[in-house]
Amino acid sequence: MLSLPTVVVGIFVYSLISRRGVLGELDLLFTPAGIIMGQVILIIPLITALIRNIIFSMDEKLYKTAISMGASRSQKFKLLILEARYGIIGAVIAGFGRVLGEIGVSMMLGGNIKGVTRTITTAMSLETNKGRFAFALALGIILLSLSFLINFVTYFLQEGKNYARR
Amino acid sequence: MLEDKIIEVKNIKKICRGKTILDIDQFAVLKNKFNFIIGGNGSGKTSLLNILSLVEQDFRGEIYYKGRKINKDEQNLALRRKFSVIWQDPYLYRGNVFYNIALPLKLRNIEQSIIDKKVREMAGRLEISNLLEQSAYTLSGGEKQKTSIARALISEPEILFVDEATTNLDEESIYFFNSHFADLVTDEMTVVMVSHDRRQIKELADQITLLKGGKVKTTKTINDFNFELFGAGIETFIAELV
Repeated sequence: MLSLPTVVVGIFVYSLISRRGVLGELDLLFTPAGIIMGQVILIIPLITALIRNIIFSMDEKLYKTAISMGASRSQKFKLLILEARYGIIGAVIAGFGRVLGEIGVSMMLGGNIKGVTRTITTAMSLETNKGRFAFALALGIILLSLSFLINFVTYFLQEGKNYARR
Repeated sequence: MLEDKIIEVKNIKKICRGKTILDIDQFAVLKNKFNFIIGGNGSGKTSLLNILSLVEQDFRGEIYYKGRKINKDEQNLALRRKFSVIWQDPYLYRGNVFYNIALPLKLRNIEQSIIDKKVREMAGRLEISNLLEQSAYTLSGGEKQKTSIARALISEPEILFVDEATTNLDEESIYFFNSHFADLVTDEMTVVMVSHDRRQIKELADQITLLKGGKVKTTKTINDFNFELFGAGIETFIAELV
């Protein structure tokens, strides 16, 4: 599920929200809400897998100690989430990063409507096709800056804090 | 006598990956006493301690608390909150020393002002008052263990379980533990201790149980030893059986 092709997700959600789809009555096709729905389905497996790995890599002593301290089931869960919080935030940001550069779902479900569902990636694609290469490149630089910023935040949350505490 | 036994296990069997780790017909922890569990590597000491402290749930057999059978499938939260464990390699949570010591009281929803007072008092007794604001990740092995001892004692447990608390410590920390531990434990407390430290056994033990291959090989109370020859007696006992 991690390598879910974006166009497949696009077609799947398209079939759900198009006029004859199960959710057709909600009029989500070619709306920002439709794009969001597709993107969420796209990144849920990624975020889930990352968080799962984080939780499974936690020290077993964390659970034993929580039990020995007299933690209830919900308190054990809370302690676990608190211990894994930087990793969980990192996983969410990694998912956001994937969505940021995504084009297939945005194009299929948003329709690239100016002022409504046009995203940086769909705009770049359009401008390149129109031959306005410099403009597309400028958009690319903005996207790249955003991506770097997210990577920096992810690194700081996952590694930076731990490094400082080592 | 029934009233002397605070915890008793019967027909305990713990199997891990097809191998029997623990196979105990009967074992009892004596109330308000120092109960030592000794044995070689892989003899099942830690597994037994985990079962007795209700940390381990995955085993067969019965466990009794003051003669009442415990349903091990239930959470037994009220009972678990009467127990504390000091581990060989303690796990400290992300946060400072104060937070770690205060955790058991926070889990019991104790008022913050009482928590503050108790934590500072306990830190003073363990000589770690200067570390309270320090991150738990920056502590030395000895400081970590002192923090975990404070955390275990702050809830004033009825039974304190100690799993080879001094094995990974330096000489100075072992000395501190040996010279302070008896004072930290109150008369109302029952202690179950896995240890190989002969000094601890000599000075503290009321009952000594030897495990071998997951079975209780023998259990002796302090009265079984000749007091005049106690030192030599216990040395021989340990040497012979471990």
